[in-house]
Amino acid sequence: MVDVGKIVAFHSYKGGTGKTLLSVNLATTYASRGKKVCLFDLDFRAPSLQAAFKTNDNEYWLNDYLNGICDVKKVLIDLSQRRVKKGELSVGLANPATEAIREMSAKDRKWEMKALGRLLTLKNSLLNDMEFDYLVWDTSPGLQYSSINAIVSADVALVATTIDASDIEGTQRMTHELYDLFEKKTGIIMNKIPAETISSETGKRKLRKQFETIHGFPILEIVPCFCDVLRASGTYIFTEEKPEHPFTKIVDRIATKIERF
Amino acid sequence: MSAYRSLGRNPTIILQKIKESLDRLNEKMDVMIEIQKHGQKESQNIPDVLDVMTLLSLPDHLRKTAVTISRLEQATAEEVAEQTRRARAVESGYLNQLVMMGYLKKERRGRKAYFYIEK
Repeated sequence: MVDVGKIVAFHSYKGGTGKTLLSVNLATTYASRGKKVCLFDLDFRAPSLQAAFKTNDNEYWLNDYLNGICDVKKVLIDLSQRRVKKGELSVGLANPATEAIREMSAKDRKWEMKALGRLLTLKNSLLNDMEFDYLVWDTSPGLQYSSINAIVSADVALVATTIDASDIEGTQRMTHELYDLFEKKTGIIMNKIPAETISSETGKRKLRKQFETIHGFPILEIVPCFCDVLRASGTYIFTEEKPEHPFTKIVDRIATKIERF
Repeated sequence: MSAYRSLGRNPTIILQKIKESLDRLNEKMDVMIEIQKHGQKESQNIPDVLDVMTLLSLPDHLRKTAVTISRLEQATAEEVAEQTRRARAVESGYLNQLVMMGYLKKERRGRKAYFYIEK
């Protein structure tokens, strides 16, 4: 059997957990391994990838694909020459215009059903026909149609969470009530963890065990709060620019773990 | 009748009044038919949409079948069984159950039965 690619969805209960940062860097890491990757902005309420990649050369948006206006090929922007040194990186962007956000938030259930069908067919069109190795979905936080559609259509779901009390509680509810139902291969990434909490290996192990019990899924990585990653404020792709940085190494380990999932 | 009696014995005026009354009655009937149609359509559509929230509410065995149909768009029980790795007869039972629940449509083409989501 031919080994087809994987769809990886990044999700979280709350906003600001680092989904976009992790998605962008994970997609780039796969490209740097010589893979053909496509990163999708499925956060239609707060699109962010257009700003992250500073690109204006698309005629169509993912909104248009989900609305049935165009083929997905018309949405993809090939950034391989500009953004990565190796491999292939394309992006599919959500329309950041206020009118488009308003339009997407007013969709009814029937539309959401069709949108799920369109996301599910990407497995054939992009992974099988266009031979992409990885599709990375950057989704919107919480339990919304767009994010749940994205999780259902993915092969692997990654949940980014912090140690904020409300985030822990919400993520726990979400993993037990939602992820269990869809029987997805799921991994938790604990992000923005204060360095002193995980300064020792024992502390790290204790934290990992504690949160694996809470969420019921493996903790793929514990990412410390890196001031220099925050300082980059999304102006460049960290893993591309700083190959020796600990953050780059962590994302690299996440990429390997997903490959083995 | 008293209203007609007051009009005197002019048959043209009486007929005109009867025609106006019938027109008003027809208009009211049309409105009632529309309300009934609309009401029926709504009560049919709301529970029948196989969106992701509905998928969540389905029992595990039916959810797997429903997600597979969403991905394949339309398929026979055999094609669904290939994806879910369950027996064809089992999938056929689940698919027919989803049809009865109003989530899927079934169409016979020759000797094969195709299941699909009505868009």
